[in-house]
Amino acid sequence: MTAVLAGLGRYGLWCVDFVRAVWVHGPPKGQTLHEAFRIGIKSLPILLIISAFVGTNLALQGYNAFKPLGGQRLVGMFVALAGVRELAPIIAAAMIAAKAGTEMASQIGVMRIREQVDALEVMAVNPLAFLVAPRLIGIVLMLPALTLIAIFVMLSAAYGVSVLQLGLAGHEFIQFATESIQPIDFFYGALKAMFFGLIICTVSCYFGFHCGKGPEGVGVATNRAVVTSSVICIVLNYFVSELLYGGAL
Amino acid sequence: MIEFKNVSKAFGSNVVLRDISLKIPPGQTTAIVGPSGTGKSVALKHIVGLLRPDEGQVMCFGTDMATATEAELFAVRRRFGMLFQDGALFDSFSVGENVSFPLEHHAPEMSADERRARVDEKLRLVGLPGIYDRPTSGLSGGQRKRVGLARAIVMEPEVILFDEPNSGLDPITSDAIDALIQEMKEALGITFIIISHDIVGTVNVADHIAMLYDGNLVAFEPTDRFVRLDNEIVRKFLRRNLILPEGPDDVARLPELK
Amino acid sequence: MLNALAAIGRFGRFSGAIATRVVRRPLFGRQVVEQTWTTTTRCLLPVVAVTFPFGMVMALQGLEIFRLFGAERMLASLISIATLREISPVLASVLVAAQGGSSCAASLGAMRIKEELDATEVMAIDAIKYHVAPRVIAMTLACPLLNIAGSVSGVAGGYSTAVFIKGESGGIFMAELWSFMQPVDLYGGLLKTTVFGLLIGLISCYHGYRASGGAAGVGKAVNDTVVHSVVAFITMNYFLTSALFGAVAP
Repeated sequence: MTAVLAGLGRYGLWCVDFVRAVWVHGPPKGQTLHEAFRIGIKSLPILLIISAFVGTNLALQGYNAFKPLGGQRLVGMFVALAGVRELAPIIAAAMIAAKAGTEMASQIGVMRIREQVDALEVMAVNPLAFLVAPRLIGIVLMLPALTLIAIFVMLSAAYGVSVLQLGLAGHEFIQFATESIQPIDFFYGALKAMFFGLIICTVSCYFGFHCGKGPEGVGVATNRAVVTSSVICIVLNYFVSELLYGGAL
Repeated sequence: MIEFKNVSKAFGSNVVLRDISLKIPPGQTTAIVGPSGTGKSVALKHIVGLLRPDEGQVMCFGTDMATATEAELFAVRRRFGMLFQDGALFDSFSVGENVSFPLEHHAPEMSADERRARVDEKLRLVGLPGIYDRPTSGLSGGQRKRVGLARAIVMEPEVILFDEPNSGLDPITSDAIDALIQEMKEALGITFIIISHDIVGTVNVADHIAMLYDGNLVAFEPTDRFVRLDNEIVRKFLRRNLILPEGPDDVARLPELK
Repeated sequence: MLNALAAIGRFGRFSGAIATRVVRRPLFGRQVVEQTWTTTTRCLLPVVAVTFPFGMVMALQGLEIFRLFGAERMLASLISIATLREISPVLASVLVAAQGGSSCAASLGAMRIKEELDATEVMAIDAIKYHVAPRVIAMTLACPLLNIAGSVSGVAGGYSTAVFIKGESGGIFMAELWSFMQPVDLYGGLLKTTVFGLLIGLISCYHGYRASGGAAGVGKAVNDTVVHSVVAFITMNYFLTSALFGAVAP
């Protein structure tokens, strides 16, 4: 337990260093948009698949849950609420952690063990500003878009299952779905996702920078990056949801 | 202008540098030698501020690297060039992009053409003309060192640091790198600091040799005095590191020993 | 596209190779037990740390809705069924992939890069049997075990939020917990996670075993493992859910 707290402390200090570095040096020009685009495009196929199958299961389980009460037509509402408020941001974030997070941790880890990070420092270039900032900005920019895509795909897949497999009325699904969400929900969803992206990026880069020696070191860093960032995001998700949704509908 | 004053450094219980005091003569080539693990690389990293000592001062151009702020560190580092053991090149960049990297960050006033011209010039100097666009991943060990050296000199620094330039190379390439360092020394005439365990190459190129053993500085002499030194540790080290002669021609190549 | 098909083909052959070796002697039982223990203990804390807050969030959002209809009593059974059927299996599997799968890919990958796998073969020991098969079995066994932990943790999270934070009655919660549950809810999750664990094991060992290109290759193996595993079992999840909790048009 103390090890976890100590680790969080070190991570916190590293984040402070990072903020200071970006404040003083700024990110390298021209790379940021390129990074954002690259991360977004690469993550898209997986995002589509995962959102789709989460949507299908939401529909299936929602149907089963409400059927005994005779409320199976409410599936649209259930899917929309659960999907937009909670699942879409988490899916987008999880997928970023899985793809971009592991990539960042391993790339930076490899650079670390081959002294390229030292070389940057010796050439009087701040590694945090140079390596981490473009990736962070890229991820935070892409996440709202990815979240919206996730929402759309999830709802479409749920619609498909509801109508084709469960035999529900399509227009009712859409009606209940649209009635239960408000524009602010989309905004909150995107906000959540960006917050998660911040955590995932900083945690992954942190582990990359503090990589142990050799190929095992890179493997361990990548491993820790994805687990730690996922756990932190989901734990914080509760508090964020409480903040945004708790007590006010 | 570069001086260690009573520097000590330990990693946990492992004491790597014990009260080292050393003044690097400017404009000349100094080698720091010693068995593996005696803290040579650690000493080098102190000079550029990648490590900070537990005690003592590391003075570079009047700044104490031990207590310098980031801005001060960066100001000093701009006057250094460093060749890392494996070159430490960036795999995602081409050769030319690697060499021009310091220029892009520290010489924004140069035009793209000027930068290109400077990079091409330095690549020629290290014996690799015309490979500006080559991807870094296909280079051999010797080529990576040359490109690393080109990058180290592209800002025309006042000091160049070499971290084990011969490591990981076969004997022929190792000789070639030694010759390259000798050429650079004659062409540039600036301060070189070389960390090495290869005694033959070192003796040929260095003006002064400092020897670290078990964290202590056991000797620091001009080369011709070093090889004649009546110090037991130095003698042992010199002997163990000689390539044993295989024939009459080889005997002639040995540095003179008493 | 062709590349993907070729890769799936190779993967199939690899899995087949593991399957045939698993049943032949010598059985390296000790390896299996060790690996299972390591995987389970390493993943336990993350799984609990993830399912508990998720239970909390379900209670949070669920109560917001149910209070509108005066149907707070329903919360307990919603949470328990959702957790057992979907949330716990998926989250546990995601973490087994992220932690167990990636460390398996990382360690096998490092062994491949450092030629330790070749060394094992040269000593006339079957590398797949000694190094790979135990890990695959370990993950197949660990995943359902972790699912149990995750299910308990998820319900506990829901309980905590509902009772301690939102002031619902603990007694009613516990009573309603079982009200709509069926046997399929209990074994469905276990079945799912067994299948998912198998998939994760095979995929992570496949990528680790075939790692190449130095330390960067290990990083790539881990990356691919996490991504492919999650895609694989999320897809599989749909089909298993359809089959188990059978939704057929009335």
